[in-house]
Amino acid sequence: MDLFQTITFPALGSHLLVGLSRSMILFVVTSGMSLVLGVLRVPNVAHGSLYMIGAFAAFSISHLFGGGAIGFWLALILSPFVVGAVSLIAERSLFCHLYEREHLMLLLFTFALMLILGDLVKMVWGADYRSIMAPEFFRGSVTLFQAPFPRYNLFLLLVGPLVAVGLWLFSNKTRIGKIARAAAVDREMVGAIGINVSWVFAFAFVLGCFLAGLGGALVSPTVSITIGMDHDIIMEAFLIVTIGGLGNMWGAMVGSLIFGITQSFGVLLLPQFAIVFPYLAVVIILIWRPTGLLKSVW
Amino acid sequence: MLRVEGLHKSFDDFKAVSDVHLTVEAGQMVAVIGPNGAGKTTLFNLITGQLKPDMGRIIFNDEEIDRLPPYEICRRGIARSFQIANIFPRLTVFRNVQVSVLSQQRKSTRLFRPARKMAVEETRSILEKVGLSDKADTLAGSLAHGDQRTLEIAIALGNNPQLLVLDEPTAGMSAEETGTTMTLIRRLADEQGLTILFCEHDMEVVFKAAQSIMVMHQGVTILQAGPEVVHNSRQVQECYLGGA
Amino acid sequence: MSKGIFNLKTFGLAAAILIALAFLPPVLPRFYVYILAVIFVTALLAMSLNMVVGHGGLFQFHHGAFYGVGAYTAGLMMTKTSLPGWMGLVAGPFAAALVGLLIGIFCIRLTRLYFGMLQISLGSLIWAIAFRWYSFTGGDDGIHGIPLPSLISSPIGAYYFCLILLAICLFVLYFIFKSPFGATLQAIRDNPERCEAIGINVRRHQLIAIVIATFFAGIAGVLFVVVEGSVFPDLLFWVFSLEVFIMCLLGGWFTFAGPIFGAAIMVSLRTFVGAYTEYWTLILGIMLIFLIFFLPEGVWGYLLEKMGNQKQNLHKETK
Repeated sequence: MDLFQTITFPALGSHLLVGLSRSMILFVVTSGMSLVLGVLRVPNVAHGSLYMIGAFAAFSISHLFGGGAIGFWLALILSPFVVGAVSLIAERSLFCHLYEREHLMLLLFTFALMLILGDLVKMVWGADYRSIMAPEFFRGSVTLFQAPFPRYNLFLLLVGPLVAVGLWLFSNKTRIGKIARAAAVDREMVGAIGINVSWVFAFAFVLGCFLAGLGGALVSPTVSITIGMDHDIIMEAFLIVTIGGLGNMWGAMVGSLIFGITQSFGVLLLPQFAIVFPYLAVVIILIWRPTGLLKSVW
Repeated sequence: MLRVEGLHKSFDDFKAVSDVHLTVEAGQMVAVIGPNGAGKTTLFNLITGQLKPDMGRIIFNDEEIDRLPPYEICRRGIARSFQIANIFPRLTVFRNVQVSVLSQQRKSTRLFRPARKMAVEETRSILEKVGLSDKADTLAGSLAHGDQRTLEIAIALGNNPQLLVLDEPTAGMSAEETGTTMTLIRRLADEQGLTILFCEHDMEVVFKAAQSIMVMHQGVTILQAGPEVVHNSRQVQECYLGGA
Repeated sequence: MSKGIFNLKTFGLAAAILIALAFLPPVLPRFYVYILAVIFVTALLAMSLNMVVGHGGLFQFHHGAFYGVGAYTAGLMMTKTSLPGWMGLVAGPFAAALVGLLIGIFCIRLTRLYFGMLQISLGSLIWAIAFRWYSFTGGDDGIHGIPLPSLISSPIGAYYFCLILLAICLFVLYFIFKSPFGATLQAIRDNPERCEAIGINVRRHQLIAIVIATFFAGIAGVLFVVVEGSVFPDLLFWVFSLEVFIMCLLGGWFTFAGPIFGAAIMVSLRTFVGAYTEYWTLILGIMLIFLIFFLPEGVWGYLLEKMGNQKQNLHKETK
């Protein structure tokens, strides 16, 4: 059967690598979502929109600086800050006033934010497809597992773990990180010892959105930048944090790996239904472990 | 009627309840006392099914109930009121009690008859007994604290229980309210032949009302006896009444 | 308080509105007849959602999945099989309720947020399958030109069909709302823990509510097919479900009739504002923020409170 002919070792390896690099992007984005989920206990529905803004911002910044290598690196560094700024504005002006309300209201606010940001992007950048090119250094591919593997994806495979390590160091070794973790578990206690919980929330939210923007910037050379990006990624992010364990950063890593790898194997086995594979994996995992694979932060 | 034997419950490493024993005879008023953190509420949660014990047995009317879910335990005849007013804030006082009565009558899944006309007698009589008749149409969430506590008890009564478990029924009440509440509870016990198990901080209340007192300290049963014995017991005085 | 199940005044008012609506089609342009029919369908969908959210307290984040299942079942049966059209219409709600029960059984083990996210996951799986299975479900194009029974295939026929079914469903939903089951469900919404302690099997009640709600969502889905003559995977997409959620909030989710208003407002705004600008979602987002901050009781809820200040506090119990 055709099916078995496609499952050769080189094909497996090559698809595995592609899946892994996709997982890294997913991880960067979902780690941000996990952070917000863990500390504020609310799934940020607007997370996908911020990812999208990251990609569009990367496009604009890179064009602003001539589109070459310099443009790319500046875009990569600056767009997360742009996204962070956007989220800070939203948070300080509106979101923070809702912290005392029930969680459903916070969730609905992030949904409103998604609707607004989606149209704002349309206003600023229009509905056309955009694209940027990775710098010379990253173009082309190396041959791994008898198949061409884009150099840029190798870069992604490096960045993912770096972000993970960075986040781990941050939440375990810095004062602010520890406070954020404490607030995730017991916000009243944190407030009672004199720390301004609202600022902790603001920080966590902005950092989470920063990561979404970083994910968007990282993905920008590999996809067409378009206005549907927010819907696609938010669906995947939700599923990933759910199977990983709500609020758990390592859960986001595990979930992203599962998602990316099952999707690329789906492409290998049944290309038309590739997208169903990760969903099936999610369903199976949730039947087995309804609260996610790793422990939830709360 | 109710027997608790060798009950254990730990949360991670913290031993909330260790080797606890309790006996409640039908028609009695039994009190559980002990300082804060002694494990009284945990014990009550174990009895009424919100928690499952690690070890030990809870026997009610010769049936082991320790593994049953709360609603099954309730159907066996145990009703509970909570320490913090645990009512239905968006429903009227009448509805609060009516829901409980309907549950007891096993009619809570009835779909096609108007609730207005069901269990009205029973609900009204309970409201009268506890003295909330004039507030029947008020939203429960807007009641005064004392009234909410009374509503707590009324909801529990809706189940027509044999055993009524009251978790600190007079917590946060003034001396006057305490008196009224305890009179009400005693009246209910006498009129309806209810057996009552309660826990309290207020020593006066306990010694006046209870026929049998169980003393807990740090999750362990110190002793269970009549008020005289407990009052005079050195052991109890050391760990609770006199000491820290 | 013993006025019988129907407060005569509100019953009379509702009957008057229904009769007025019945006389509209001859006098309105076709487009408005169509829009009203869409409002009827959406109102039913929102009412069905509110049963589990507003009255049941469940985080039903992906209600649209059941709407879509109802619609697709009807559409597929009418295009792929040679069974009479009416069978497809009848099968829709049952399929939706069955899927609702299955998904409900999985999700009910979890509480609140987990419930919602798991439901989104499972519902999205259905979306993904419908979206990709070109040969069977038409993929992202959906199914077009569904052959409807001639009685209801015209815009006016569809209008009356939807109006009649909406009226019947509202009647039934009102009965349920006023029944012991409805009261118990609201108690569960207010305090599930207390309900367990008074002998109520909370999970069973929630599952029953889910099955009822998804059945009505399936009816709404079937009505969608009647009005539009097509089915799209958008119905199954999760963002649409959140829009329905907003309709309940907009109307007032602790009231009975609130979602009807929410649906009417949303559909009208979307149609008329959408004609002037392509940034309808921006406006929707701003509206939602306004609601969250200033009007969490919803439009109808707010009006009821204003009116209810004259009477005792019975307004939370009546329509």
